[in-house]
Amino acid sequence: MRRYKTSYPISWRFMDVLEAAFALVLPRGGGRLTPYLLLTPAVLLVGTLAVGLLYIGDSSLRVLDRSTFLFSDYWTLENYQRAFSESFTATIIWRSLVGAVIVTAVTLLLAFPYAYVMVRTSSALLRKFLLVALFLPFFIGQVVRAYGWLIILGNQGIVNDALALVGVEPLRLLFNYPAVLFGLVQYMLPFGVLMLAPALTAIPEDIEAAATSLGANWVRALFHVVLPMARPGLIGAGVVVLTLSLTDFAMPAILGGGSQDFVANAIYDQFFRTSDQGFGASLTLILIAVGSMTVGLIFAVFGAGTLALGANRK
Amino acid sequence: MNRSPTQTIVFWSVAILCVVALSAPTLVVLGASFTAGNIIDFPPDGFSLKWYVAILGERDLQQAFLRSVIVACICVAVSVPAGTLAGIALSKYQVKWAGALQIYLLLPFTVPLIGSGIGLMLLFGELRLLGSLWPIGIATAVINLPFMIWAVSSSAASLDPDLELAAQSCGAGPLQTFFNVTLPAVTPGVITGALLMFILSLNEFLVSLLLVDARIVTLPVQIYNSIRAIITPDLAAVSVVFIAVAALAIIILDRIVGLEVFLKSK
Amino acid sequence: MNFERKLNRRSLLKASAAVGATGLASVSMPSVLRAAEPDKPSELIIRAWGGPWVEALKNGVSDPFTEKTGIRIIHDLTEDNEIQPKVWAAVAQNRTPPIHINWDTTTNATKSALRGVCEDLSDLSNLSGTTDLAKPVGVDGYPIVNTYGYVYVLAYRPEAFPDGPPKSYHDLLDPKFKGRIAFYNDGIGFHFPAQVAGGGALEDIPGNMDACWEFVEKIKAQNPLLGEDPDFVTWFQRGEIDAACTISTNALGAKRSGVDIAWTVPEEGAKFDTDGLWIPKGHSESDLYWAREYINSALTQANQQVWLDGLGLPGVVPGLTPPEGLAGDPSYPTKPEDFERLIRISGQIQVENESEWFSKFKQIMQG
Repeated sequence: MRRYKTSYPISWRFMDVLEAAFALVLPRGGGRLTPYLLLTPAVLLVGTLAVGLLYIGDSSLRVLDRSTFLFSDYWTLENYQRAFSESFTATIIWRSLVGAVIVTAVTLLLAFPYAYVMVRTSSALLRKFLLVALFLPFFIGQVVRAYGWLIILGNQGIVNDALALVGVEPLRLLFNYPAVLFGLVQYMLPFGVLMLAPALTAIPEDIEAAATSLGANWVRALFHVVLPMARPGLIGAGVVVLTLSLTDFAMPAILGGGSQDFVANAIYDQFFRTSDQGFGASLTLILIAVGSMTVGLIFAVFGAGTLALGANRK
Repeated sequence: MNRSPTQTIVFWSVAILCVVALSAPTLVVLGASFTAGNIIDFPPDGFSLKWYVAILGERDLQQAFLRSVIVACICVAVSVPAGTLAGIALSKYQVKWAGALQIYLLLPFTVPLIGSGIGLMLLFGELRLLGSLWPIGIATAVINLPFMIWAVSSSAASLDPDLELAAQSCGAGPLQTFFNVTLPAVTPGVITGALLMFILSLNEFLVSLLLVDARIVTLPVQIYNSIRAIITPDLAAVSVVFIAVAALAIIILDRIVGLEVFLKSK
Repeated sequence: MNFERKLNRRSLLKASAAVGATGLASVSMPSVLRAAEPDKPSELIIRAWGGPWVEALKNGVSDPFTEKTGIRIIHDLTEDNEIQPKVWAAVAQNRTPPIHINWDTTTNATKSALRGVCEDLSDLSNLSGTTDLAKPVGVDGYPIVNTYGYVYVLAYRPEAFPDGPPKSYHDLLDPKFKGRIAFYNDGIGFHFPAQVAGGGALEDIPGNMDACWEFVEKIKAQNPLLGEDPDFVTWFQRGEIDAACTISTNALGAKRSGVDIAWTVPEEGAKFDTDGLWIPKGHSESDLYWAREYINSALTQANQQVWLDGLGLPGVVPGLTPPEGLAGDPSYPTKPEDFERLIRISGQIQVENESEWFSKFKQIMQG
């Protein structure tokens, strides 16, 4: 009895008390409720946003009276009718969607090799360097970052100066659709890599080695072994990049020169420039619907990526 | 292992291209902070530390920075537990209505930031919560939460259900199993997710803009707002200090928990 | 024509004489001061624009106010557009608004006034010494006090116009300016000159603006850049553009920071407008009192002189000395004949139609 007491560390005792308390609150560890209990904090957090959306939904059903700048005290679908009747809405939705798809494809194409060499390189120093390089762009803020691009890609920027040396006339590299997409890819790349990296660390190197030693060249090994195994990560990264690009407003504002607006820019204009919260709110809900349906479609076609792993396995 | 030289060349070329694209504007701005001139330009116009001296005297900026750090800490404290549990739940268990739940949990990304900002402003305003820093921390936790959930669930792929069963059959309680078996397995995701949450929260400006007032303004909001007329090199200097502090944080984190183990392929 | 407002000064020379005699400082504090003076808040929050704008306000109004009253002034640099929903939400939810005073464009402020979120400022003592410009048009009383006027000039790089300044917006249609001209995102400041440039009449605003939109279409074919104040300065600085329709203060700011830039009022004319100060409802009696004192102090000649020297703009009290180099400048109108080439549309028409003009302009530019 004495010996038992001394060899039983305090931390274990502490754990025992916790376990007992836990068992008291949740008999059988919560049983089938466990996943729902684990999800509760996250669901509640996102709930603040959902409640915020109720306010937005309410605004979207009220029209602005421009003689008092107050909103109607009754509900109407006028804002939605206006949104769907203007060809402008279709233009910006299409531009945002196409942009988001292109950005996602390019980002994944670039992020995959980046994440791959980051997790597979044998040098710890290189790995840290690649990791830190991912975080570098965050710290200068969007506006200063755009200024940096102006210095590099502007008419009198570094790239055009270099081109001038070989006799090329200055090119307009900024303030067009490709510039917006380029800016978005640069912005999304870190997210893409960081979402992919954990998925790649989970793929044992031996499997790949086995494939190549059995005579598959690296491209085949990549397509038949690595990519399928990294699929959850690819879908996760894809969904993140797609939704964030779809709803971005900074890049089109900064690198689009004012003529390449995405839906979020139109929402910004309504909320902040024309004081029409009602119309802005209806555009917001339309954009959320477009985004959520796209995500739903991706989940339906590709499976729910990383999140469905456990479910698939069972 | 023997890797094909072609693959090495292709992958490294892409990685180097990415590093250049990622760091180019930052490096330009970094260089420009040492200019002796009055505008951000590259190559900088002479060398001087005058813009650093200028921000040294700016108590406003220092306080704003401190507030940003507090906001980021609150964000991490809230989002890491919530995101980790959700990530584990979604990857380990069969959940009813999983598809709808995932779309719901992706709301922070499908709602444009302006919509999130306005919605949270109205909600927090109604609850009389505006005017302190912690609601901003909560807000940045909410709008970035999917990163945390997904970072954890993507590393949960290496979670071995047999190991958990083994622990339980050896008499470990559910909490012990969680802390000794489940959590260590997803730690890589928790660490990368937490790092990302911290950095994103530290730099968030659009939603914060709608939730702060002048007494509790955070650094990114302060910077965003001060660019009304001319972008001066002091903003570049602020960025440099910001990066230095962040680098320090990453180094400390690396010393304490070792980033290496979490990213290296096994 | 109701567009050219004659700026008849109020004949209150007596008031200004009194100001001169007793010294400006003492008059900026009204007589109420001697009676019960409400408790002083430790600080007041004034929304302002950043850069040279807030510098000028700080030197001209905030610092003297703090010196006199001991109340600290915090400048909130949130954009005027972005503070609006915050203030409106606070008033709607019966919360204390995030700012005590909003330094705002008159058009934006008029929207707040129509919505009923502005405190009335009609009985500020120093209003008696101001010109007509101080009175907002289209609203009752003084929910806003205008504090100066400004002109949306055509700013240009002299290097790009070797034959002298551009005479007309038609000059910008020259192919060599393709992609090298800039306007505000929503086209503000350009709608009215565009109406003239397109062959329309100002009297037809807002009923018939086809001429304006036709000309905007022509401008669109030139691939203009669209931006906000900081963008123009940056673009001029980096040689991205040759000409822009922008507020003269930005051009002046760029010039003072060493950019080679000049400005002109083209033959179509230029939009003239005002900015003002107002107080959102929902503050305590004492905070309101001191916020009103702040605005009152912004209307003294001494404070206007310093504030507006920084901005390079004409104020609303008589007897200001133009900043160096701006006497007779088209961006610094003071005499009735200076206003002949400036376009001023009533605030009410602007407020009611602005959103439509903005979206029309955007749609053309996004096409």
